Amino acid sequence: MNANARTSVIGRPVPLVDGVEKVTGKAQYTADLNARDASVGRILRAPVSHGNILGIDTSRAEALDGVLAVITGQDCDKTFGVIPIAMNEYPMARGKIRYRGEPVAAVVAIDADTAERALELIDIDIEELVPCYTPAESRAPEAPLLHDNKPGNLEREVHHTFGNVADGFGEADLVREEAFDCAEINHAQMEPHAALAEYDPERERLTLHSVTQVPFYVHLTLARCLDMDSSRVRVVKPYVGGGFGARTETLNFEIIASLLARKVGGKVMMQLTREESFLTHRGRPATQVRLKIGLTRSGKITAVECDVVMSGGGYAGYGLVTILYAGALLQGLYDISNIKYDGYRVYTNTPPCGAMRGHGTVDVRHSFECLLDRMARELGLDPFAVRRANLLQAPLFTSNGLMVNSYGLGECLDKVEQASGWAERKGKLGKGRGLGMACSHYVSGAAKPVHWTGEPHAVVSMKLDFDGSVTVLTGASDIGQGSTTIVAMAAAEVMSIDLGRIRVVTNDSVITPKDNGSYSSRVTFMVGNAAIEAAKALREKLINAAAELLDVEPQDVECEAETFFVKGSSQSELPFHDVAIAALAKEGTITVKGTFSTPVEAQGGKHRGGAVGSTMGFSYAAQAVEVSVDEATGQVTVEKVWAALDCGYAINPLAVEGQIEGSVWMGMGQGLCEETHYINGLPAHANLTDYRFPTIAESPPIEVQIVESIDPLGPFGAKEAGEGALSGFPPALVNAVADAVGMDVNFLPVTPDRLLAALIKFRRANRRKEATK
Amino acid sequence: MTEAMPQFQLIEPSTVDEAVAALQDAPGAVLCAGGTDLVVQLRQGLSDPGTLVNLSGVAALSTVEETNKGLRVGAGVTLAEIAGMEAVANGYPAVAKAAQSVAGPSHREVATLGGNLCLDTRCVYFNQSHWWRKSNSFCLKNRGDICHVAPKGNRCRAAFSGDMAPALMVHGAEIEIAGANGVRRIALADFYHEDGAEHINLEPCEIVVAAHLPPPGPTSDYEKIRVRGSIDFPLAGVAVACNKLDDGTAQFTVAVTGTNSKPLLVELPGDLNAEEPNDAFFATLEKQVQKAVSPQRTTTIAPHYRRLSVSALTVRLAEGLL
Repeated sequence: MNANARTSVIGRPVPLVDGVEKVTGKAQYTADLNARDASVGRILRAPVSHGNILGIDTSRAEALDGVLAVITGQDCDKTFGVIPIAMNEYPMARGKIRYRGEPVAAVVAIDADTAERALELIDIDIEELVPCYTPAESRAPEAPLLHDNKPGNLEREVHHTFGNVADGFGEADLVREEAFDCAEINHAQMEPHAALAEYDPERERLTLHSVTQVPFYVHLTLARCLDMDSSRVRVVKPYVGGGFGARTETLNFEIIASLLARKVGGKVMMQLTREESFLTHRGRPATQVRLKIGLTRSGKITAVECDVVMSGGGYAGYGLVTILYAGALLQGLYDISNIKYDGYRVYTNTPPCGAMRGHGTVDVRHSFECLLDRMARELGLDPFAVRRANLLQAPLFTSNGLMVNSYGLGECLDKVEQASGWAERKGKLGKGRGLGMACSHYVSGAAKPVHWTGEPHAVVSMKLDFDGSVTVLTGASDIGQGSTTIVAMAAAEVMSIDLGRIRVVTNDSVITPKDNGSYSSRVTFMVGNAAIEAAKALREKLINAAAELLDVEPQDVECEAETFFVKGSSQSELPFHDVAIAALAKEGTITVKGTFSTPVEAQGGKHRGGAVGSTMGFSYAAQAVEVSVDEATGQVTVEKVWAALDCGYAINPLAVEGQIEGSVWMGMGQGLCEETHYINGLPAHANLTDYRFPTIAESPPIEVQIVESIDPLGPFGAKEAGEGALSGFPPALVNAVADAVGMDVNFLPVTPDRLLAALIKFRRANRRKEATK
Repeated sequence: MTEAMPQFQLIEPSTVDEAVAALQDAPGAVLCAGGTDLVVQLRQGLSDPGTLVNLSGVAALSTVEETNKGLRVGAGVTLAEIAGMEAVANGYPAVAKAAQSVAGPSHREVATLGGNLCLDTRCVYFNQSHWWRKSNSFCLKNRGDICHVAPKGNRCRAAFSGDMAPALMVHGAEIEIAGANGVRRIALADFYHEDGAEHINLEPCEIVVAAHLPPPGPTSDYEKIRVRGSIDFPLAGVAVACNKLDDGTAQFTVAVTGTNSKPLLVELPGDLNAEEPNDAFFATLEKQVQKAVSPQRTTTIAPHYRRLSVSALTVRLAEGLL
């Protein structure tokens, strides 16, 4: 046996296999790629929120020395959009402008300075239209339409009822209804957007390197918008500095860079500024939630009614999926039989929203966990007890058809309750200090992808060659979440080979198999399973070769620590490389593949939109948050967080811990201080000074615990780990603030100015109450 | 990417006289020390001076002298150095605390005292990209003719956001200014005036060379209102100094930043006498600060909040110093 081989790796903390490059600065991100022979692309952006383009004159810009080409909306008449039935965006506006900052033209020049000057020389003639900045403005009877085919500026409305809501409320001992207001937020990923496009006019081929989470969708969109055969397109994803959903759809600059490259027949580097990255947006929409819950005296939920209005921005993007998610994931966490959901996704003259970590679910979960807590308080129930009264019993299907095979929420509750000292400390921390808790969940990949082709959801190939190395080829996009490491670990574990023997090659459409991309926490579950299957196929070939060498039947051969031997015998051990040579002698270089397809029963209910929210397994989380509140300044300080996540099985506990901390931290940003702020459609927040995500100064100690419910379909029993713990933070924070100051707030984020204004109002109301007594 | 840096000529004097001469030679030239604020402005097209005079090589600006007349701190001394100086921490705690609270650690390593005292005023309509400001028809402070914060007014409302000035002001600091006609010294409070587009009293070709603090006397403290515990400019900040007399009287000095176009010395209701109930004094103090400041819509955070929180903070600091 090779005692030094790291072959039994799963369940052990393994540093990310691509971590060294990142922390030493060797990793090449898109903007680091060789652009010596590239010209510089820049985008001209609309100065108004809503208007008709009457004309664009590019002649002065084109005449400027050093300008290679100028393009406008006239250069591309193909729409794009991630949802096949909702592609209503042009790479550059044609005819109509729908948000301030929307691309209207683009320049390619010999350097950035010339490109900048050329932008100033483009003259646009615009007829301004009345802008609609809020859903109320957009839905007003006299409001102008952003899209002619969408009356009322409604992108999508959803009306779903499951069970009998009226009967449910009839059975309740307490019914409460409240409205919550959650601000729009942005991913603010560390790496600003960038793309490097190269067009080869001889062969009529395009190569795009981009910051994307979804190279496959980018590939399809480029072929569509450039009217090229997809075989002439190549998409490569280098290292990516964070995605969080910002890059789960093709973005306009990727198409514009490609159009420019084709126009000049060469290489174009397009690097967006931080402001432009904010203008490209795709973040979490401003969301208004009206929620009604019925509870029995013992805390059992009898019925839920929820009305959600999302301010979607100027284009569809992922919008209809977001508004469907918001309703669908009311379920799957607690046992709720009677539920009514009405959702409205509204167009507004602001940058388009999209998918963001916890897609569609966060603001609704926030509202739910806040209201549930308040009702428990009114009934004299402990927050943990009211959640325990509504636990699911897996396996089951929810009333909207979601499949739940594994369910570790109960254990998460136990762990967080104990770790936080809840029983001894809740309500006893004194004035200005409080404890709050909340639960959350998230899908492990959508059971039906947005581009439904019938193909497997994931394919992983592996190659074994003369040198004894194993190369894993995957299209899974590592965006920092650790998917490349998961694939390597799965291969090492199944084949019992050293992690160092494995190289993972990712995200080059001419080399790696197609993958749908990194979104909805699908990669570990789907790609992990495909990797296991591929590794098993390779292992079988090696076992067969070993069996021949040992002169026994394959089923009698065992492989451990890079060593093949006959079961129950310590004699005749064969090292890995000898067996590999024997296997290769039979057929030469060995290639195998594994696939993963989602089972039909996981694909959701039969109702319209029923596929959204469907998944093979949900992660579950509980968390407790301790805060102190400065009642004079309204400043909330997060003192400590205890989080537990049921991720099925922690293939790499180190990465799982990191993902839970990241989720908690991002939830903290939304809870405490992050929000966009538009002044007549201009983003006042489009820099990292005014878009206030938390700094290390705000980062509390986070005590993380992992719960393993072992999902029957998950790879090694694993489910997702990167999103589930996010949406519990904002409500746990608000519940903790209530514990600290005795006041409930229905807004996010809980910024000091909002909280102080609420406290002043609260004190005044209390004084009035005292006076009338 | 960050926005493109405009072209400029860089002049690197090694003495104050050379620096003054450089300013005389190139009208419109801009001084640069740590560059933490200026470089951002250059990239956003808020400043396009053609010539930058880099003060980093002027050794005389980086000296600190402690004498029986007090402490003289060169304008080129970094905020990190000031925050770490024992003489400052012991004699002028508010100054050390203010220095320690500016931006983040890497900024403080290069940002200078002079830079912070001369920090440009800030406004949500001003500190934006060229595209942003152009889309909004520019503003009174830069290329435009209207203040979007107060469209009916006739001056720029951008807010002074330096942390050092109020802390130095409550200790009665003066600043030393060098120019073509030699050196002059004025009270720091007189260095500023209430116009966001023209908030410091520097004549052409003048350079702030040092701040003078009188010998240590009162105790002091500084705090600021901000959403985050790092990076953020003050939404409002307050320095309080307290001089306790033998008869039990406490004399307070209060200076506020972030609420007006200049740092503001607040007129106080008198001293706190030993016989007087503290609560009444502090209630008056709170009201006085609320009355004195005039925060505007220069940040995304509501002006009213900045008024209420900074007055509450003033009382908290004052109580703490008693």
